[in-house]
Amino acid sequence: MNKITARDVNVFYGSKQALFDVSINIQEKEVTALIGPSGCGKSTFLRCMNRMNDVIDICRVEGSIKMDDLELNSNKLDVVRLRENVGMVFQKPNPFPKTIYENIAYGPTIHGLAQSKEEMDQIVETSLKKAALWNEVKDRLDEIGTGLSGGQQQRLCIARAISVSPEVILMDEPCSALDPIATAQIEELIDDLKKEHTIVIVTHSMSQAARVSQKTGFFHLGKLIEFGETEKIFKNPDNQQTQDYITGRFG
Amino acid sequence: MSEKPHIVKSYEEQLQLLKDTIIKMGAGVEKQLEQSIQSATKKDLSLAEKTIKDDETIDRFEVNIEEQVVNLIALRQPMAIDLRETVVALKISSDLERIGDLAKNISKRLISVGVDLPTEIVKNLEIAGLKAAKQVNSVLNSYLHRDKAVAESVWNSDEEIDQITNVNMEAAVKHLEKNKSDIKKVTQLLFVLKNIERIGDHATNVAEQTYFLITGEYLEGDRPKA
Ligand SMILES: Nc1ncnc2c1ncn2[C@@H]1O[C@H](COP(=O)(O)OP(=O)(O)OP(=O)(O)O)[C@@H](O)[C@H]1O
Ligand SMILES: [Mg+2]
Repeated sequence: MNKITARDVNVFYGSKQALFDVSINIQEKEVTALIGPSGCGKSTFLRCMNRMNDVIDICRVEGSIKMDDLELNSNKLDVVRLRENVGMVFQKPNPFPKTIYENIAYGPTIHGLAQSKEEMDQIVETSLKKAALWNEVKDRLDEIGTGLSGGQQQRLCIARAISVSPEVILMDEPCSALDPIATAQIEELIDDLKKEHTIVIVTHSMSQAARVSQKTGFFHLGKLIEFGETEKIFKNPDNQQTQDYITGRFG
Repeated sequence: MSEKPHIVKSYEEQLQLLKDTIIKMGAGVEKQLEQSIQSATKKDLSLAEKTIKDDETIDRFEVNIEEQVVNLIALRQPMAIDLRETVVALKISSDLERIGDLAKNISKRLISVGVDLPTEIVKNLEIAGLKAAKQVNSVLNSYLHRDKAVAESVWNSDEEIDQITNVNMEAAVKHLEKNKSDIKKVTQLLFVLKNIERIGDHATNVAEQTYFLITGEYLEGDRPKA
């Protein structure tokens, strides 16, 4: 089933066009990887799915991006509700300079998801467990989040993202600052999260895209060049540009 | 070849070395095969001896290719066409090694029966042997030039060797019925004929692999069988 359906999406930064007629179907409860050379528009496209481009003054988005039947690119959209439903994890772990507990509780609090302290405790525990961080931090929830290791901070950010039970999680190079073990933990987590969430991940690691995703989209110069089953893309892509890119022949 | 070179030159060189090694190994195997047949047709058992000796070189090629492949996978994580290039090299080298073994086995058997052999059987052996050698040569060319049409035609003509083998074995048995004292020689020659057929099978495997390498798809349908 399609979770997100983009049709003819064009994005401009001022007069400079960054995306050209991008159409894509993101499947529900699957991991979709977006790959492509630097500056090809991956992050721009990712930001279309939670309206993060709104915060960039000169940015203008045209076309249709639907989540289920809801048009995301509409000025009537409740952006706060959308962001509750579409979580995001960034390249650099960015926990708030608050306690581990408060990092997780922040979202549920502003969205009013817990009626009592017990309920909030439960949300914090569940989120940390889902993010495979609980065992490492359960005895120090009142310690500052920024004091964790990079890999732990990234899992904390994932826990924070899932604390509001979003249907979609967007990840922009979530492992680029992590060591192989922390990366493996995040990848294992992604595998697990896809049972309940739809995940879109931007990555520069071809092997990571191959490992974690079911579908892969290759962007080049603002265009979606090829989109399909991950296995097909990495074994035998249809497009020569895709093949040149994934095999390191670009330029 | 439409493929652009890799940005990382040493990677490009490693893949090129792998291809070159396959071609060298293939050329060695072809020579082995020809020599083993010629030792019967030219009545020159030194060629058979040489074939047996050359097999060590072929075995070393196989080990070398395996090392190259493991290194590429471990250190380069090849994708798409490069992944096929790497995996296919491993499979082709093992088929080539088998062809070398079979040529060696043919040579051993020919040495054991000597050069005084029934003319008609040797003639048939030559026909089948040349056919098999041509298959091996064509499939190596298809690998070298990335020519999928040639790979397909090798794949399609495996049946011919199978048929030739059947006819030749029947003829050998007929000869035996009339010349009972030739039993030892003919038995060995039957194995030789069978080995040639199996060489054809391995050439067909290489054709399948080469086709997959070029297209990323498997040859459709059952392998033609006589
Ligand atoms: N805030 C911005 N203001 C102006 N131009 C921008 C802005 N953000 C992105 N762009 C431009 O849009 C294009 C696409 O950028 P984007 O960040 O989406 O690429 P990317 O594929 O995510 O690259 P990377 O892999 O380096 O993160 C680039 O040409 C970039 O310069
Ligand atoms: Mg980006």
